[in-house]
Amino acid sequence: MDPKLHQEMLKAISDKLTGVMQMYLDTCSRCGICASACHVYASVPEFENTPVYRAESIRKIYKKYFKLQGKLLPMIGEAVDIDDNTADMLKKTAYSCTGCRRCMVYCPFGIDTQQIMSIAKLLLIKAESEPEILSMLADVSISKGDSLDSVKENFLKGLKKIEADVVEKWKLEAGKVAIPTEVENADILYVALAGAHSIVPAAAIFNAAGENWTLSFFEAVNFGAFVGDPSKTKLILDRIINEAIRLKVKEVCICECGTAYRVMAQLSGDKPFKVSSITQVHARYIREGRIKLKPLPADVSVTYHDPCQIARNGGVIDEPRYIIGQIAKDYREMSPDPKTNWCCGGGGGLVALGDETIDFRMKSSKVKADQVKKSRAKILITACENCHTQLDNLNEHYKLGVEVKFLSSMVADALIK
Amino acid sequence: MDSVYYFILVPMVYVAFFIFIAGNILQIVKVIQRKRFAPPLKIYPEQKPSFLWAIYDAFLFPMVRRSNPILWFFLIGFHVCVFLLFLGHLELIGDFSVLQIIGHEIFIGRGFVGLGILIALLFFLFRRFASPVRQFSVPEDYLILMLLLLTAIFGSQMDWARTWYGYGELTVYEYRPYILSLISLSPDIGPVMDVGHSFMLVLHVFFANLLLMFFPFSKLVHSIFAVPLNMIRRGK
Ligand code: SF4
Ligand code: SF4
Repeated sequence: MDPKLHQEMLKAISDKLTGVMQMYLDTCSRCGICASACHVYASVPEFENTPVYRAESIRKIYKKYFKLQGKLLPMIGEAVDIDDNTADMLKKTAYSCTGCRRCMVYCPFGIDTQQIMSIAKLLLIKAESEPEILSMLADVSISKGDSLDSVKENFLKGLKKIEADVVEKWKLEAGKVAIPTEVENADILYVALAGAHSIVPAAAIFNAAGENWTLSFFEAVNFGAFVGDPSKTKLILDRIINEAIRLKVKEVCICECGTAYRVMAQLSGDKPFKVSSITQVHARYIREGRIKLKPLPADVSVTYHDPCQIARNGGVIDEPRYIIGQIAKDYREMSPDPKTNWCCGGGGGLVALGDETIDFRMKSSKVKADQVKKSRAKILITACENCHTQLDNLNEHYKLGVEVKFLSSMVADALIK
Repeated sequence: MDSVYYFILVPMVYVAFFIFIAGNILQIVKVIQRKRFAPPLKIYPEQKPSFLWAIYDAFLFPMVRRSNPILWFFLIGFHVCVFLLFLGHLELIGDFSVLQIIGHEIFIGRGFVGLGILIALLFFLFRRFASPVRQFSVPEDYLILMLLLLTAIFGSQMDWARTWYGYGELTVYEYRPYILSLISLSPDIGPVMDVGHSFMLVLHVFFANLLLMFFPFSKLVHSIFAVPLNMIRRGK
């Protein structure tokens, strides 16, 4: 192996080796309790699909270079060298983990396999073996931040085209703009995804609530986080933070995208504004009486899929249930509790990889499909773009016969004066 | 032979304790010295006070009970036995009235604690032979189980000999002066050497020494990191 690359990979591990990471790597007792907690193993019970096996792929390298045991007695812990096969092996472990952190709930020590897999993802980047498409998408996002002026015009043109759809959902007073942009001192900067479905319902609801809001020029999704590149993650994030600071907004509201919400809420450090998920904002509007909703017919049964990054990892658990309580009479909780909800199987960049991962995604999420089926609900609601795509795919693949809907579009459709 | 016995019962014990203490301190210092990971790593929903919930998680592992009650039973049994054995070994140093709240003949447990630990260890060992645990187990896992088994077998044997089949030659009153002599840094193995059962003690101490020396460099550090890691998960 090229010694320079070898050195770079070691440096990457060392950069990731925080105190917590060392404890994660030193503590695992290989008890295997996490195995059945992972949807991949629960759906396809092969040992390669267990969280601990994934973590071992990094732990064995860590032992070799950073631990006395691995240096003196490598066979005891099966310590391994970084070599030409490392990238292939890590690709399998890192990109079969969605980073849902369900295993962390069950592990007696709370070992975070997603964190350990972040080392694997970084090593893949160093070895130039990461899924290229994710890095490319991250680069596109970054370059958009660098050359905003050139994309602005097209963006505004696009918005013009969907304004009528917003007004159709909620009539505006004369002179009001349906989708405001560049509003200084706005109360909310809304960061959407590319695509009308992420903007239209949200805009109608902001307008219905009489919110002083403005739409961000940037899309919320952070491909840097999917591919596990800390510097790209930060550059993508900083575009939005800088925009929020420039416009002096009070709150940044992230659309229905789990990773984007978690990255903004938890990974961006101290900020001069509040961060909310759109679900939290909608729940607030209902509580404050700023919007009113018309309930669905009593016989329409609904269930809710908790996006891992928003619920278990982001803490937005009660709000969606509160909102759904206003719309649906027949709500069916999917799992015993949201903390142990099964991942949809599409996180960690897997959905973004599209057809390349579809076979794996369908097989590895059988437990999720079963869970949805068991609820016997007609509508399956969720609040994350990735989850929505994956659940749609599962619906088709396993013939679940549900209608998969975004929570925000349910709210927008139920708006009444 | 005597010099081998002496080596195991005196210098090796000192070295083992030194490595055990220094090694564990080193591990803790390393964790503290490394850079901090600032973003929260907690799991929701939150429950307050998070500190107490973290202690609850670390000592009673409720999620293990939920997902694998049989393993949970053996894990709890094993750890309770380890704790009782720790108390039992304290009784070898001196009489502690708190330990005699429930009056008993020294050593605590009448041999049943050792038996319990052996059963739990055998369960852990056989469990490792089954898939998928077999595939991700590494030699370290078996080594630790074997060291624990051997330490426990020879340790228990001393107690069983005394309490179960009336072999009264090697008792607390022989161990105590030996251990006290080690603590006071004037080692004297005389009291435990003149009796027929001393090779049991020597083997027990030998394997225990190995275990102590390996402890800081193995997964056994989970006993130190379980609480902080659970606090991190609980968001403390
Ligand atoms: S549950 Fe935790 S300690 Fe047990 S094997 Fe999994 S990660 Fe390791
Ligand atoms: S984070 Fe989720 S997908 Fe990854 S190992 Fe844990 S349970 Fe499996």
